[in-house]
Amino acid sequence: MQTFHSIGTTTDWIVMVVYFMAIMLFGSYFGRYTKNTSDFFFGGRRFSWWLITMSIVATGVGSHSFVKYSAKGFEHGIASSMTYLNDWFFIAFFMFGWLPIIVYSKVRSIPEYFEKRFSPSSRFIATILLLLYMIGYIGIGFLTLGKAVIPMLPSAFVILGMTVPVTLMGAIIVIAIITGIYITFGGQTAVIFTDLLQGFILLFAGLLLFFFGITYLGGFDIFWNLLPVEWKLPLADFNQPSNFNFVGIFWQDAIAGSIGFLFMNQGLIMRFMACKNVNEGRKAAGINILFVLPISAIVVGNAGWVGKAISIASPEVVSPSVSPDQIFVVVANIIASPGMFGFIMAALTAALMSTVDTLINATAAIYINDVHRPVRQFLKKSYGTVSESDRKELTAARYASIAVTTLGVLAVLAFKNFPTVYEAHGFFHSTLTPPLVVGIFLGVFWKRFTASAVITTFVGGVALMILGARYPGILIAPFDHGIEMNEAHPYSYIRALYNTLVCTGVGVAVAYTTKFQLSLVSNIRSKPNNKMIMNGLLVVAILLFATVLFGISGITIQLVAAVGVMILVPLTVTYFVHYDEEVNTVGLTAGSINIARKQFKGSEPNDQEGENAFVHWKLIEGEERVMRFSENDMALMKANVGDLVYLCDKRNWMGGLKSVHSVFAEPHSEDGIVYMTADLAESGLFVEGRELKAEKEM
Amino acid sequence: MNLFSHSWLPFIYLYGFGGILFIAGIIITMKAGSFDLKRPKHKKWMWILIFGFVWYIAMHALMTWAALGTISPYVVLYTLLAMVAIFIVVTLRFGKGAKA
Repeated sequence: MQTFHSIGTTTDWIVMVVYFMAIMLFGSYFGRYTKNTSDFFFGGRRFSWWLITMSIVATGVGSHSFVKYSAKGFEHGIASSMTYLNDWFFIAFFMFGWLPIIVYSKVRSIPEYFEKRFSPSSRFIATILLLLYMIGYIGIGFLTLGKAVIPMLPSAFVILGMTVPVTLMGAIIVIAIITGIYITFGGQTAVIFTDLLQGFILLFAGLLLFFFGITYLGGFDIFWNLLPVEWKLPLADFNQPSNFNFVGIFWQDAIAGSIGFLFMNQGLIMRFMACKNVNEGRKAAGINILFVLPISAIVVGNAGWVGKAISIASPEVVSPSVSPDQIFVVVANIIASPGMFGFIMAALTAALMSTVDTLINATAAIYINDVHRPVRQFLKKSYGTVSESDRKELTAARYASIAVTTLGVLAVLAFKNFPTVYEAHGFFHSTLTPPLVVGIFLGVFWKRFTASAVITTFVGGVALMILGARYPGILIAPFDHGIEMNEAHPYSYIRALYNTLVCTGVGVAVAYTTKFQLSLVSNIRSKPNNKMIMNGLLVVAILLFATVLFGISGITIQLVAAVGVMILVPLTVTYFVHYDEEVNTVGLTAGSINIARKQFKGSEPNDQEGENAFVHWKLIEGEERVMRFSENDMALMKANVGDLVYLCDKRNWMGGLKSVHSVFAEPHSEDGIVYMTADLAESGLFVEGRELKAEKEM
Repeated sequence: MNLFSHSWLPFIYLYGFGGILFIAGIIITMKAGSFDLKRPKHKKWMWILIFGFVWYIAMHALMTWAALGTISPYVVLYTLLAMVAIFIVVTLRFGKGAKA
């Protein structure tokens, strides 16, 4: 396979350095709006849908990168776009199930949802699984960044007479240091605004590259006619080859990946939490999937398609044996002029950095919310005042970002031996997402799904997944749809079907046998030595899980052990964990969203649709975080005292950067004036004399 | 050359399974009460959901026909642009209806 080094000119490097400095300055500028942990992680829940949509572009396109889709575009053609065009199936579940729940229940992380919906022990296991997922995702991001940059670097540097070879891991470590800088000091607001800029730039850069490619080949018709029919088809062959087939990718990406991305990617969830309200979040998700993703599919894959066409027309220019992961850089260098190539590479690497930054920020949020705070509460450690506590948490969040960056670099080691980034990512999604995806999905949409069911899904499901990974020819083969098993990387994609089915099967079986578990545990409780019996069962369950984990004995024994885990775990959870279906599901399932809305507001929602009011602001003394509008302005908005209000700078292009949420207080008689405390004006970043727009929420 | 397993078989599988999941999503959220067609904004969302599904079916079907040489690739582009125009017009009309 042909690989490259030292692609690009000095001009390209100058353009890249200038681009990165500009982006970092841009991020640092918006970092000054970070005042507390809410701003650091969630951007203060204030932004408009269009800002979040563009921000998601940089995150989504970065993670489903130019490198991996260009590679598959070069190897298999336009079917590389299929992973971008299969996200609509779960949109109703997301828009009207998960999104309102995470906003109205005011959870700050996915594990916190598990604690509220199930139990603290569920949260503990979910935290471990989610941290593994996020750090693995960061590792994939760093791997892609390294592979993107390596072709531009020489094979070695000479420093003080010593020859230092350029290695993939070396490049990744340098990139990680740069990446960590502005996320550590900027926070979510910086990331959102940096991503907004980069979202536009990388869409522009990708489309520009396609235009250059078509022009280089002599026009669209020539490009189209050069491609073989198989390269033009939008979906891959049903079940071959093993490294790129439709059915495997359907289960890995359209099912596990889509739910994983929409429901458990903390980075994306935090983007939606940064929206000013649920409806803006729906708009951001809808527009992104409907229109931005199809454009993004062209943006990220076209270098591969153009590369394939050039390799047919002029194999001496682009050899068919070019390393697929390098095709983007190779094609960009051929068809773009010096300087322009640097700009395209800067946009690519910056987009990848956006993804990694978002994930680092999100993982730090999980650490603070699900490790730092619970441990502090457990140790009964107090930081004194609220502001003191917030300041210390912000510092801890920044240290956590550095630690997560380091772990992300180490995670690269687990993926760097896959032939392409695409396969590494596919394997990663298939393996790590199913337990959490099933846990979240059944938790949200099935009231009967209990704490013992979710914990058994995590533990028993993982046990069966381990067995599937160890014996793919026996356990995954029945689900393979005729896909040939690659001995080196068996069933990278279709294992998602097996993993999802076993996790779902375990969860459903345990939920349906809840009455039996309760009756059995009730019997045990009536015995004088009940605690000893249950402790004994817990030890047996741990030993059985260890049998599976360490592969002790043959497959039959391990399967029996896994079944034992699935029987004993629900019993021990039922005994040790307090779970009340009525209490634990209120406001936390799709069936109780209206209750969640009421809880969020603190009173009955007012769904009358009024108009927006435009007002100037004045300060009043006091500490209550409420706002006083005139009677006429409140009538215009159809608002009552106690309703929620969102007040923002009138300039729509600011996207809600200067805004604040509050509550309507008793009205006054001065139309066009709102009275608020200095604290609220400061939170909203309002400028004296600027007109504001007020809208009633809910 | 038999391209069925590379063209229409994955298409049928994608929109067969995907369609079941999509419709299940709408039914489950409606039964749960979180998606309520009595609310004007949710009526608009129903239109967007249905449009999105048809949009993707059309996109994949047209691209497949273009790849197989049944239609020109320009037909794909023009049809999709027409669909975007329809989407914008109808969605804006829903917006006016919701305010009224």
